Amino acid sequence: MSRAYRITVKESETRHLKAGDEICTQLEILEILPPVDMATLLRNELKNRGFEEQDDGTMTRQDGDVAVTIDPCSGEVTVKAATEETVNQEARRDATGFNDVGPNEGKLRDRVREQLKQDLDKKFEQEQSRLQTKATEDLEKHLNEIQPEISQIVNQVTRDALKQKAQQMGTVKEIAEDPESGSLTIKLEV
Amino acid sequence: MTRAAAPPNRPPEPDGPRQVSKFEFNLLRILRFFLGHFPSDQGLQLVRAAITRPECLGGTAVDLIKDSLSKACVLFLVRAGGWRNDRFLRENNPTGGRAWERTSLEERTLEFSRHVVEFLLWATAEKIHETKVAWDAPAKELSPADELFFWLAFDACRADPDVVAVLRKKSAFRLNPLCWISFPGDMTESDEPTLPEFRPLFTGLRAVVLECLQPHLAGRWTRSERAKGQIGDWKKMRQQGRAEFAALRAFLEAAGQANRTDLGRFVLKTNAALFQTDLLPVFWTGGLQGSGPPRLADRLDTQRAALAVPRQMEVLDGWQQQALYVGYFDDEYQASQMWKQDWEAADGNHVAARARAAVEMLEPLRAPSSSLPPAGSGQQTEDTPVDRPG
Repeated sequence: MSRAYRITVKESETRHLKAGDEICTQLEILEILPPVDMATLLRNELKNRGFEEQDDGTMTRQDGDVAVTIDPCSGEVTVKAATEETVNQEARRDATGFNDVGPNEGKLRDRVREQLKQDLDKKFEQEQSRLQTKATEDLEKHLNEIQPEISQIVNQVTRDALKQKAQQMGTVKEIAEDPESGSLTIKLEV
Repeated sequence: MTRAAAPPNRPPEPDGPRQVSKFEFNLLRILRFFLGHFPSDQGLQLVRAAITRPECLGGTAVDLIKDSLSKACVLFLVRAGGWRNDRFLRENNPTGGRAWERTSLEERTLEFSRHVVEFLLWATAEKIHETKVAWDAPAKELSPADELFFWLAFDACRADPDVVAVLRKKSAFRLNPLCWISFPGDMTESDEPTLPEFRPLFTGLRAVVLECLQPHLAGRWTRSERAKGQIGDWKKMRQQGRAEFAALRAFLEAAGQANRTDLGRFVLKTNAALFQTDLLPVFWTGGLQGSGPPRLADRLDTQRAALAVPRQMEVLDGWQQQALYVGYFDDEYQASQMWKQDWEAADGNHVAARARAAVEMLEPLRAPSSSLPPAGSGQQTEDTPVDRPG
Protein backbone atom coordinates (compact mmCIF):
# COMPACT_ATOMS: atom_id res chain seq x y z
CA MET A 1 0.00 0.00 0.00
CA SER A 2 1.44 3.33 -1.03
CA ARG A 3 1.47 6.32 1.28
CA ALA A 4 1.51 9.88 0.05
CA TYR A 5 3.67 12.48 1.70
CA ARG A 6 4.17 16.18 1.11
CA ILE A 7 7.40 18.07 1.51
CA THR A 8 7.85 21.82 1.64
CA VAL A 9 11.15 23.37 0.65
CA LYS A 10 11.98 26.99 1.32
CA GLU A 11 15.02 28.81 0.02
CA SER A 12 16.21 32.33 0.50
CA GLU A 13 19.13 34.14 -1.06
CA THR A 14 20.71 37.55 -0.81
CA ARG A 15 22.49 39.12 -3.76
CA HIS A 16 24.12 42.46 -4.35
CA LEU A 17 22.75 43.77 -7.64
CA LYS A 18 24.29 46.53 -9.73
CA ALA A 19 22.94 48.34 -12.78
CA GLY A 20 24.28 51.19 -14.82
CA ASP A 21 23.80 53.19 -17.96
CA GLU A 22 25.87 55.85 -19.63
CA ILE A 23 26.10 58.05 -22.67
CA CYS A 24 29.15 59.53 -24.23
CA THR A 25 29.15 62.56 -26.51
CA GLN A 26 31.27 65.46 -27.62
CA LEU A 27 31.08 69.10 -26.63
CA GLU A 28 30.82 71.60 -29.47
CA ILE A 29 33.86 73.71 -28.64
CA LEU A 30 34.92 76.06 -31.43
CA GLU A 31 38.66 76.31 -32.05
CA ILE A 32 38.91 80.05 -31.42
CA LEU A 33 42.18 79.67 -29.54
CA PRO A 34 44.75 76.87 -29.74
CA PRO A 35 43.42 73.58 -28.27
CA VAL A 36 45.55 73.89 -25.12
CA ASP A 37 44.13 77.33 -24.32
CA MET A 38 40.57 76.20 -25.04
CA ALA A 39 41.12 73.24 -22.70
CA THR A 40 42.37 75.58 -19.95
CA LEU A 41 39.33 77.82 -20.30
CA LEU A 42 37.02 74.82 -20.17
CA ARG A 43 38.83 73.41 -17.15
CA ASN A 44 38.49 76.72 -15.27
CA GLU A 45 34.81 77.00 -16.10
CA LEU A 46 34.18 73.45 -14.95
CA LYS A 47 36.03 74.12 -11.68
CA ASN A 48 33.75 77.08 -11.08
CA ARG A 49 30.78 74.78 -11.46
CA GLY A 50 31.94 72.24 -8.91
CA PHE A 51 33.83 69.77 -11.10
CA GLU A 52 36.94 68.23 -9.58
CA GLU A 53 40.08 67.42 -11.49
CA GLN A 54 41.07 63.75 -11.57
CA ASP A 55 44.52 62.20 -11.92
CA ASP A 56 43.95 61.52 -15.62
CA GLY A 57 43.12 65.18 -16.29
CA THR A 58 39.38 64.72 -16.62
CA MET A 59 36.90 66.79 -14.58
CA THR A 60 34.21 64.94 -12.67
CA ARG A 61 31.17 65.91 -10.67
CA GLN A 62 28.94 63.50 -8.82
CA ASP A 63 25.26 64.50 -8.90
CA GLY A 64 23.60 61.88 -6.69
CA ASP A 65 23.75 58.55 -8.52
CA VAL A 66 24.90 60.22 -11.70
CA ALA A 67 28.52 61.10 -12.47
CA VAL A 68 29.37 63.67 -15.13
CA THR A 69 32.91 63.45 -16.51
CA ILE A 70 34.35 65.87 -19.04
CA ASP A 71 37.73 65.63 -20.68
CA PRO A 72 38.77 69.27 -21.27
CA CYS A 73 41.35 68.25 -23.90
CA SER A 74 39.07 66.24 -26.17
CA GLY A 75 35.72 67.73 -25.13
CA GLU A 76 34.34 64.27 -24.49
CA VAL A 77 31.46 64.16 -22.01
CA THR A 78 30.43 61.00 -20.21
CA VAL A 79 27.31 60.92 -18.11
CA LYS A 80 27.04 57.75 -16.11
CA ALA A 81 24.26 56.59 -13.83
CA ALA A 82 24.89 53.69 -11.49
CA THR A 83 22.72 52.13 -8.88
CA GLU A 84 23.14 49.15 -6.61
CA GLU A 85 21.05 47.38 -4.06
CA THR A 86 21.28 44.38 -1.78
CA VAL A 87 18.21 42.28 -2.45
CA ASN A 88 16.89 39.38 -0.44
CA GLN A 89 14.50 36.96 -2.12
CA GLU A 90 12.60 33.98 -0.79
CA ALA A 91 10.92 31.16 -2.62
CA ARG A 92 8.88 28.23 -1.41
CA ARG A 93 7.54 25.11 -3.11
CA ASP A 94 5.44 22.15 -2.06
CA ALA A 95 5.72 18.71 -3.64
CA THR A 96 3.86 15.46 -3.17
CA GLY A 97 5.47 12.01 -3.35
CA PHE A 98 4.58 8.38 -2.77
CA ASN A 99 6.78 6.10 -0.74
CA ASP A 100 6.50 3.10 -3.11
CA VAL A 101 6.48 4.70 -6.58
CA GLY A 102 8.25 7.70 -8.05
CA PRO A 103 11.34 9.34 -6.63
CA ASN A 104 12.26 8.83 -3.07
CA GLU A 105 12.28 11.75 -0.68
CA GLY A 106 15.91 12.74 -1.24
CA LYS A 107 15.56 12.89 -5.00
CA LEU A 108 12.27 14.72 -4.74
CA ARG A 109 13.76 17.28 -2.40
CA ASP A 110 16.70 17.83 -4.80
CA ARG A 111 14.33 18.30 -7.70
CA VAL A 112 12.23 20.82 -5.82
CA ARG A 113 15.37 22.65 -4.69
CA GLU A 114 16.50 22.90 -8.31
CA GLN A 115 13.12 24.36 -9.27
CA LEU A 116 13.39 26.79 -6.36
CA LYS A 117 16.77 27.91 -7.62
CA GLN A 118 15.24 28.69 -11.00
CA ASP A 119 12.41 30.59 -9.28
CA LEU A 120 14.95 32.65 -7.35
CA ASP A 121 16.96 33.36 -10.50
CA LYS A 122 13.82 34.64 -12.19
CA LYS A 123 13.01 36.88 -9.24
CA PHE A 124 16.54 38.30 -9.24
CA GLU A 125 16.32 38.87 -12.99
CA GLN A 126 13.17 40.91 -12.42
CA GLU A 127 14.92 42.89 -9.71
CA GLN A 128 17.89 43.44 -12.01
CA SER A 129 15.56 44.68 -14.70
CA ARG A 130 13.87 47.04 -12.22
CA LEU A 131 17.25 48.44 -11.18
CA GLN A 132 18.30 48.86 -14.81
CA THR A 133 15.13 50.79 -15.57
CA LYS A 134 15.78 53.01 -12.57
CA ALA A 135 19.37 53.71 -13.69
CA THR A 136 18.24 54.55 -17.22
CA GLU A 137 15.45 56.79 -15.98
CA ASP A 138 17.89 58.58 -13.65
CA LEU A 139 20.23 59.11 -16.59
CA GLU A 140 17.50 60.42 -18.89
CA LYS A 141 16.22 62.76 -16.21
CA HIS A 142 19.69 64.04 -15.46
CA LEU A 143 20.46 64.58 -19.14
CA ASN A 144 17.46 66.88 -19.40
CA GLU A 145 18.58 68.76 -16.32
CA ILE A 146 22.21 69.10 -17.29
CA GLN A 147 21.69 70.12 -20.93
CA PRO A 148 21.13 73.83 -20.19
CA GLU A 149 24.18 73.85 -17.93
CA ILE A 150 26.34 72.25 -20.61
CA SER A 151 25.13 74.89 -23.08
CA GLN A 152 26.02 77.61 -20.58
CA ILE A 153 29.49 76.13 -20.09
CA VAL A 154 30.12 76.01 -23.84
CA ASN A 155 28.82 79.56 -24.29
CA GLN A 156 30.94 80.85 -21.42
CA VAL A 157 34.08 79.20 -22.77
CA THR A 158 33.35 80.62 -26.23
CA ARG A 159 32.86 84.12 -24.79
CA ASP A 160 36.09 83.92 -22.77
CA ALA A 161 37.96 82.64 -25.79
CA LEU A 162 36.64 85.47 -27.98
CA LYS A 163 37.70 88.03 -25.40
CA GLN A 164 41.19 86.56 -25.22
CA LYS A 165 41.40 86.42 -29.01
CA ALA A 166 40.34 90.07 -29.20
CA GLN A 167 43.03 91.03 -26.71
CA GLN A 168 45.61 89.24 -28.83
CA MET A 169 44.44 91.12 -31.94
CA GLY A 170 44.57 94.65 -30.48
CA THR A 171 43.43 96.94 -27.68
CA VAL A 172 39.94 96.19 -26.44
CA LYS A 173 37.94 99.42 -26.27
CA GLU A 174 34.53 98.13 -25.29
CA ILE A 175 32.80 94.87 -24.50
CA ALA A 176 29.03 94.65 -24.51
CA GLU A 177 27.22 91.46 -23.53
CA ASP A 178 23.53 90.72 -23.67
CA PRO A 179 22.82 87.64 -21.55
CA GLU A 180 19.27 87.35 -22.89
CA SER A 181 20.13 87.16 -26.56
CA GLY A 182 23.59 85.74 -25.91
CA SER A 183 25.21 88.36 -28.13
CA LEU A 184 28.71 89.60 -27.42
CA THR A 185 30.12 92.73 -29.06
CA ILE A 186 33.79 93.55 -28.73
CA LYS A 187 35.19 96.79 -30.08
CA LEU A 188 38.93 96.85 -30.44
CA GLU A 189 41.59 99.06 -31.85
CA VAL A 190 44.08 97.31 -34.05
CA MET B 1 27.92 37.68 -83.61
CA THR B 2 29.06 35.75 -86.66
CA ARG B 3 31.95 33.39 -86.52
CA ALA B 4 33.94 35.63 -88.82
CA ALA B 5 33.58 38.46 -86.34
CA ALA B 6 35.07 36.43 -83.47
CA PRO B 7 38.57 37.36 -82.31
CA PRO B 8 41.26 35.43 -84.21
CA ASN B 9 42.65 33.73 -81.08
CA ARG B 10 39.34 32.05 -80.19
CA PRO B 11 38.41 28.59 -81.56
CA PRO B 12 35.41 28.56 -83.84
CA GLU B 13 32.01 28.08 -82.19
CA PRO B 14 30.32 24.69 -82.88
CA ASP B 15 27.21 24.70 -85.03
CA GLY B 16 24.76 23.07 -82.59
CA PRO B 17 24.36 22.88 -78.79
CA ARG B 18 27.30 21.25 -77.04
CA GLN B 19 26.84 18.05 -75.06
CA VAL B 20 27.43 18.05 -71.29
CA SER B 21 26.47 15.70 -68.45
CA LYS B 22 23.63 16.39 -66.02
CA PHE B 23 26.10 17.49 -63.34
CA GLU B 24 27.89 19.81 -65.76
CA PHE B 25 24.57 21.18 -66.93
CA ASN B 26 23.67 22.06 -63.32
CA LEU B 27 27.11 23.51 -62.72
CA LEU B 28 26.82 25.75 -65.76
CA ARG B 29 23.38 26.92 -64.69
CA ILE B 30 24.72 27.70 -61.19
CA LEU B 31 27.62 29.57 -62.74
CA ARG B 32 25.22 31.61 -64.84
CA PHE B 33 23.13 32.26 -61.72
CA PHE B 34 26.20 33.56 -59.87
CA LEU B 35 27.01 35.78 -62.84
CA GLY B 36 23.50 37.20 -62.95
CA HIS B 37 22.35 35.47 -66.13
CA PHE B 38 19.94 32.91 -64.66
CA PRO B 39 16.73 33.44 -62.66
CA SER B 40 17.44 33.88 -58.96
CA ASP B 41 14.75 31.51 -57.65
CA GLN B 42 15.86 28.68 -59.93
CA GLY B 43 19.51 29.32 -59.16
CA LEU B 44 18.90 29.19 -55.42
CA GLN B 45 17.03 25.91 -55.86
CA LEU B 46 20.06 24.47 -57.62
CA VAL B 47 22.53 25.52 -54.90
CA ARG B 48 20.19 24.06 -52.28
CA ALA B 49 20.12 20.71 -54.12
CA ALA B 50 22.76 17.98 -54.15
CA ILE B 51 23.94 15.83 -57.05
CA THR B 52 26.65 13.19 -57.25
CA ARG B 53 29.96 14.70 -58.16
CA PRO B 54 31.89 13.15 -61.05
CA GLU B 55 35.63 12.58 -60.86
CA CYS B 56 36.34 15.32 -63.34
CA LEU B 57 34.70 17.70 -65.77
CA GLY B 58 34.61 17.14 -69.51
CA GLY B 59 36.51 19.37 -71.91
CA THR B 60 33.31 20.88 -73.25
CA ALA B 61 32.14 21.93 -69.79
CA VAL B 62 35.53 23.42 -68.99
CA ASP B 63 35.42 25.42 -72.22
CA LEU B 64 31.94 26.67 -71.40
CA ILE B 65 32.99 27.65 -67.85
CA LYS B 66 35.94 29.60 -69.23
CA ASP B 67 33.73 31.21 -71.83
CA SER B 68 31.06 32.22 -69.30
CA LEU B 69 33.55 33.58 -66.80
CA SER B 70 35.51 35.60 -69.32
CA LYS B 71 32.49 37.10 -71.05
CA ALA B 72 30.13 37.62 -68.13
CA CYS B 73 32.65 39.19 -65.74
CA VAL B 74 33.86 41.64 -68.36
CA LEU B 75 30.28 42.39 -69.40
CA PHE B 76 29.35 43.02 -65.78
CA LEU B 77 32.24 45.40 -65.20
CA VAL B 78 31.50 47.29 -68.39
CA ARG B 79 27.82 47.63 -67.55
CA ALA B 80 28.53 48.50 -63.90
CA GLY B 81 30.46 51.58 -64.92
CA GLY B 82 33.46 50.65 -67.03
CA TRP B 83 31.73 52.05 -70.12
CA ARG B 84 31.62 55.56 -68.67
CA ASN B 85 34.01 58.14 -69.90
CA ASP B 86 35.34 58.99 -66.47
CA ARG B 87 38.52 60.17 -64.82
CA PHE B 88 40.60 58.25 -62.27
CA LEU B 89 44.04 58.68 -60.83
CA ARG B 90 47.11 57.04 -62.30
CA GLU B 91 50.17 57.84 -60.18
CA ASN B 92 48.52 60.96 -58.81
CA ASN B 93 47.46 62.21 -62.24
CA PRO B 94 43.90 62.14 -63.54
CA THR B 95 43.48 59.88 -66.57
CA GLY B 96 40.28 60.05 -68.56
CA GLY B 97 38.40 57.67 -70.83
CA ARG B 98 36.50 54.43 -70.61
CA ALA B 99 37.95 51.55 -68.55
CA TRP B 100 39.64 49.98 -71.56
CA GLU B 101 41.06 53.33 -72.65
CA ARG B 102 42.46 54.23 -69.23
CA THR B 103 44.04 50.83 -68.62
CA SER B 104 46.29 48.70 -70.79
CA LEU B 105 45.26 45.15 -71.69
CA GLU B 106 47.96 43.64 -69.43
CA GLU B 107 46.65 45.58 -66.46
CA ARG B 108 43.03 44.62 -66.99
CA THR B 109 43.35 40.92 -67.75
CA LEU B 110 41.15 38.79 -65.52
CA GLU B 111 42.79 35.55 -64.43
CA PHE B 112 40.76 33.02 -62.49
CA SER B 113 42.39 30.41 -60.29
CA ARG B 114 41.40 26.79 -59.66
CA HIS B 115 39.48 27.93 -56.55
CA VAL B 116 36.64 29.23 -58.71
CA VAL B 117 36.14 25.85 -60.40
CA GLU B 118 36.47 24.02 -57.08
CA PHE B 119 33.82 26.29 -55.60
CA LEU B 120 31.53 25.62 -58.55
CA LEU B 121 32.01 21.87 -58.15
CA TRP B 122 31.27 22.10 -54.45
CA ALA B 123 28.24 24.37 -54.89
CA THR B 124 26.81 21.99 -57.50
CA ALA B 125 27.49 18.73 -55.69
CA GLU B 126 26.48 19.83 -52.19
CA LYS B 127 23.53 21.51 -50.56
CA ILE B 128 25.33 24.69 -49.59
CA HIS B 129 23.13 25.37 -46.60
CA GLU B 130 23.63 21.96 -45.03
CA THR B 131 26.83 20.62 -46.50
CA LYS B 132 29.18 18.37 -44.55
CA VAL B 133 31.98 18.62 -47.09
CA ALA B 134 34.35 21.41 -46.19
CA TRP B 135 35.30 23.82 -48.93
CA ASP B 136 37.16 27.08 -48.63
CA ALA B 137 39.79 29.04 -50.49
CA PRO B 138 42.57 30.86 -48.61
CA ALA B 139 42.11 34.58 -49.20
CA LYS B 140 45.80 35.04 -50.02
CA GLU B 141 45.59 32.61 -52.93
CA LEU B 142 42.74 34.46 -54.62
CA SER B 143 43.40 36.60 -57.66
CA PRO B 144 41.53 39.91 -58.16
CA ALA B 145 39.32 38.15 -60.70
CA ASP B 146 38.53 35.40 -58.16
CA GLU B 147 37.51 38.05 -55.64
CA LEU B 148 35.24 39.64 -58.22
CA PHE B 149 33.66 36.26 -58.96
CA PHE B 150 33.14 35.38 -55.28
CA TRP B 151 31.66 38.83 -54.71
CA LEU B 152 29.18 38.22 -57.55
CA ALA B 153 28.39 34.75 -56.20
CA PHE B 154 27.72 36.08 -52.71
CA ASP B 155 25.56 38.85 -54.06
CA ALA B 156 23.50 36.35 -56.05
CA CYS B 157 22.91 34.25 -52.91
CA ARG B 158 21.99 37.13 -50.60
CA ALA B 159 18.28 36.43 -51.02
CA ASP B 160 18.70 33.17 -49.11
CA PRO B 161 19.70 33.74 -45.46
CA ASP B 162 20.61 30.06 -44.91
CA VAL B 163 23.06 30.05 -47.79
CA VAL B 164 24.50 33.43 -46.79
CA ALA B 165 25.04 32.21 -43.23
CA VAL B 166 27.22 29.37 -44.55
CA LEU B 167 29.11 31.40 -47.15
CA ARG B 168 30.06 34.28 -44.87
CA LYS B 169 32.02 31.92 -42.63
CA LYS B 170 34.36 31.02 -45.49
CA SER B 171 37.57 32.95 -46.03
CA ALA B 172 36.85 33.44 -49.72
CA PHE B 173 33.94 35.67 -48.73
CA ARG B 174 34.74 36.72 -45.16
CA LEU B 175 38.07 38.24 -46.17
CA ASN B 176 36.90 39.60 -49.50
CA PRO B 177 37.13 43.42 -49.32
CA LEU B 178 34.65 43.83 -52.19
CA CYS B 179 31.99 42.07 -50.12
CA TRP B 180 32.70 44.36 -47.17
CA ILE B 181 32.35 47.58 -49.12
CA SER B 182 29.14 46.40 -50.77
CA PHE B 183 27.03 44.63 -48.15
CA PRO B 184 28.90 44.70 -44.82
CA GLY B 185 25.71 44.01 -42.89
CA ASP B 186 25.57 40.54 -44.44
CA MET B 187 29.20 39.77 -43.66
CA THR B 188 29.00 39.64 -39.88
CA GLU B 189 26.97 37.99 -37.18
CA SER B 190 28.24 40.07 -34.28
CA ASP B 191 28.40 43.70 -33.21
CA GLU B 192 32.19 43.72 -33.51
CA PRO B 193 33.01 42.97 -37.13
CA THR B 194 36.40 41.57 -38.10
CA LEU B 195 37.46 43.47 -41.18
CA PRO B 196 39.68 42.33 -44.04
CA GLU B 197 42.69 44.22 -45.34
CA PHE B 198 41.57 47.03 -47.67
CA ARG B 199 44.96 48.22 -48.91
CA PRO B 200 45.21 45.74 -51.81
CA LEU B 201 42.04 47.27 -53.29
CA PHE B 202 43.98 50.37 -54.34
CA THR B 203 46.61 48.76 -56.52
CA GLY B 204 46.69 46.86 -59.82
CA LEU B 205 43.68 45.08 -61.21
CA ARG B 206 41.69 45.42 -57.97
CA ALA B 207 41.80 49.20 -58.33
CA VAL B 208 40.66 48.91 -61.96
CA VAL B 209 37.74 46.73 -60.88
CA LEU B 210 36.87 49.24 -58.17
CA GLU B 211 36.92 52.06 -60.71
CA CYS B 212 34.39 50.18 -62.83
CA LEU B 213 32.21 49.49 -59.80
CA GLN B 214 31.91 53.11 -58.63
CA PRO B 215 28.46 53.86 -60.14
CA HIS B 216 27.23 50.40 -59.17
CA LEU B 217 28.34 50.86 -55.56
CA ALA B 218 26.85 54.35 -55.33
CA GLY B 219 23.50 53.01 -56.57
CA ARG B 220 23.63 50.02 -54.26
CA TRP B 221 24.42 52.11 -51.17
CA THR B 222 21.75 54.67 -52.03
CA ARG B 223 19.13 51.93 -52.27
CA SER B 224 20.38 50.36 -49.06
CA GLU B 225 20.19 53.66 -47.16
CA ARG B 226 16.70 54.39 -48.44
CA ALA B 227 15.58 50.93 -47.32
CA LYS B 228 17.04 51.36 -43.84
CA GLY B 229 13.92 53.11 -42.65
CA GLN B 230 12.12 49.78 -43.06
CA ILE B 231 14.31 47.93 -40.55
CA GLY B 232 12.25 47.22 -37.45
CA ASP B 233 14.63 45.13 -35.40
CA TRP B 234 16.97 47.12 -33.15
CA LYS B 235 19.55 44.37 -32.98
CA LYS B 236 19.69 43.98 -36.76
CA MET B 237 19.99 47.74 -37.21
CA ARG B 238 22.80 47.95 -34.70
CA GLN B 239 24.69 45.03 -36.22
CA GLN B 240 24.29 46.26 -39.78
CA GLY B 241 25.09 49.87 -38.93
CA ARG B 242 28.18 49.03 -36.95
CA ALA B 243 29.46 46.79 -39.74
CA GLU B 244 28.78 49.52 -42.33
CA PHE B 245 30.47 52.18 -40.28
CA ALA B 246 33.55 50.08 -39.55
CA ALA B 247 33.90 48.85 -43.14
CA LEU B 248 33.42 52.22 -44.82
CA ARG B 249 35.67 54.01 -42.33
CA ALA B 250 38.47 51.45 -42.78
CA PHE B 251 38.03 51.57 -46.55
CA LEU B 252 38.18 55.38 -46.69
CA GLU B 253 41.20 55.51 -44.40
CA ALA B 254 42.99 53.01 -46.64
CA ALA B 255 41.99 55.04 -49.72
CA GLY B 256 43.36 58.21 -48.14
CA GLN B 257 46.64 56.51 -47.26
CA ALA B 258 46.96 55.13 -50.79
CA ASN B 259 46.21 58.58 -52.29
CA ARG B 260 43.25 57.07 -54.15
CA THR B 261 40.54 59.44 -52.98
CA ASP B 262 38.91 58.95 -56.38
CA LEU B 263 37.97 55.42 -55.34
CA GLY B 264 35.98 56.77 -52.39
CA ARG B 265 33.82 58.73 -54.80
CA PHE B 266 30.90 56.33 -54.42
CA VAL B 267 30.56 57.29 -50.73
CA LEU B 268 30.39 60.96 -51.69
CA LYS B 269 27.85 60.26 -54.43
CA THR B 270 25.72 58.16 -52.08
CA ASN B 271 25.58 61.00 -49.57
CA ALA B 272 24.90 63.50 -52.34
CA ALA B 273 21.98 61.39 -53.54
CA LEU B 274 20.58 61.18 -50.01
CA PHE B 275 21.10 64.75 -48.87
CA GLN B 276 19.40 66.62 -51.66
CA THR B 277 17.33 68.15 -48.84
CA ASP B 278 17.73 68.27 -45.08
CA LEU B 279 17.06 64.88 -43.52
CA LEU B 280 16.10 63.95 -39.98
CA PRO B 281 17.54 60.84 -38.30
CA VAL B 282 14.08 59.31 -38.48
CA PHE B 283 14.75 58.77 -42.19
CA TRP B 284 17.01 55.91 -41.08
CA THR B 285 15.52 54.95 -37.71
CA GLY B 286 11.81 55.48 -38.38
CA GLY B 287 11.10 51.78 -38.83
CA LEU B 288 12.49 50.63 -35.49
CA GLN B 289 9.77 48.86 -33.55
CA GLY B 290 9.06 49.28 -29.84
CA SER B 291 11.09 51.18 -27.31
CA GLY B 292 14.26 49.21 -28.01
CA PRO B 293 16.88 48.00 -25.55
CA PRO B 294 16.43 48.98 -21.90
CA ARG B 295 19.76 50.83 -21.70
CA LEU B 296 19.93 54.32 -23.15
CA ALA B 297 23.53 53.60 -24.17
CA ASP B 298 22.39 50.74 -26.42
CA ARG B 299 19.54 52.74 -27.93
CA LEU B 300 21.87 55.62 -28.72
CA ASP B 301 24.47 53.26 -30.12
CA THR B 302 21.88 51.70 -32.45
CA GLN B 303 20.69 55.08 -33.67
CA ARG B 304 24.23 56.27 -34.26
CA ALA B 305 24.97 53.04 -36.14
CA ALA B 306 21.96 53.63 -38.37
CA LEU B 307 23.61 56.81 -39.67
CA ALA B 308 26.80 55.02 -40.65
CA VAL B 309 26.91 56.49 -44.16
CA PRO B 310 26.32 60.18 -43.30
CA ARG B 311 29.01 59.85 -40.64
CA GLN B 312 31.54 59.10 -43.39
CA MET B 313 31.18 62.68 -44.66
CA GLU B 314 33.49 63.64 -41.82
CA VAL B 315 36.34 61.79 -43.55
CA LEU B 316 35.47 63.16 -46.98
CA ASP B 317 35.26 66.68 -45.58
CA GLY B 318 38.74 66.13 -44.15
CA TRP B 319 39.97 65.18 -47.63
CA GLN B 320 38.43 68.36 -48.99
CA GLN B 321 40.15 70.49 -46.34
CA GLN B 322 43.47 68.82 -47.16
CA ALA B 323 42.91 69.37 -50.88
CA LEU B 324 42.34 73.07 -50.29
CA TYR B 325 45.82 73.38 -48.82
CA VAL B 326 47.68 71.59 -51.63
CA GLY B 327 49.78 74.07 -53.57
CA TYR B 328 50.45 74.25 -57.29
CA PHE B 329 53.96 72.87 -56.94
CA ASP B 330 53.00 69.97 -54.69
CA ASP B 331 53.02 66.43 -56.10
CA GLU B 332 49.38 65.92 -55.21
CA TYR B 333 48.18 69.07 -56.94
CA GLN B 334 46.48 67.33 -59.87
CA ALA B 335 44.91 64.72 -57.63
CA SER B 336 43.64 67.36 -55.20
CA GLN B 337 42.21 69.41 -58.07
CA MET B 338 40.33 66.36 -59.25
CA TRP B 339 38.97 65.69 -55.76
CA LYS B 340 37.83 69.31 -55.47
CA GLN B 341 36.00 68.98 -58.78
CA ASP B 342 34.30 65.81 -57.56
CA TRP B 343 33.40 67.59 -54.33
CA GLU B 344 32.04 70.59 -56.19
CA ALA B 345 30.04 68.40 -58.58
CA ALA B 346 28.44 66.61 -55.64
CA ASP B 347 27.76 69.93 -53.88
CA GLY B 348 29.99 68.61 -51.11
CA ASN B 349 29.76 71.59 -48.74
CA HIS B 350 25.98 71.44 -48.58
CA VAL B 351 25.96 67.66 -48.37
CA ALA B 352 28.54 67.66 -45.56
CA ALA B 353 26.59 70.31 -43.62
CA ARG B 354 23.35 68.38 -43.96
CA ALA B 355 24.99 65.10 -43.01
CA ARG B 356 26.60 66.75 -39.97
CA ALA B 357 23.28 68.25 -38.91
CA ALA B 358 21.54 64.86 -39.18
CA VAL B 359 24.28 63.15 -37.16
CA GLU B 360 24.32 65.84 -34.48
CA MET B 361 20.57 65.67 -34.01
CA LEU B 362 21.08 62.29 -32.40
CA GLU B 363 23.65 63.55 -29.95
CA PRO B 364 22.46 64.18 -26.42
CA LEU B 365 23.43 67.35 -24.56
CA ARG B 366 23.14 69.45 -27.68
CA ALA B 367 20.95 72.52 -27.36
CA PRO B 368 18.06 72.38 -29.85
CA SER B 369 19.09 75.67 -31.36
CA SER B 370 22.54 74.35 -32.22
CA SER B 371 21.49 70.90 -33.32
CA LEU B 372 18.66 71.76 -35.66
CA PRO B 373 20.06 73.10 -38.88
CA PRO B 374 18.64 76.42 -40.01
CA ALA B 375 16.97 76.64 -43.40
CA GLY B 376 19.58 76.71 -46.14
CA SER B 377 22.13 75.38 -43.70
CA GLY B 378 24.51 74.66 -46.52
CA GLN B 379 25.73 78.24 -46.34
CA GLN B 380 26.88 77.61 -42.80
CA THR B 381 30.05 75.79 -43.82
CA GLU B 382 31.13 78.54 -46.14
CA ASP B 383 30.50 81.43 -43.79
CA THR B 384 31.19 80.33 -40.25
CA PRO B 385 34.38 78.29 -40.05
CA VAL B 386 37.22 80.25 -38.55
CA ASP B 387 40.21 78.36 -39.85
CA ARG B 388 39.02 77.34 -43.26
CA PRO B 389 40.62 78.88 -46.28
CA GLY B 390 38.34 80.56 -48.76
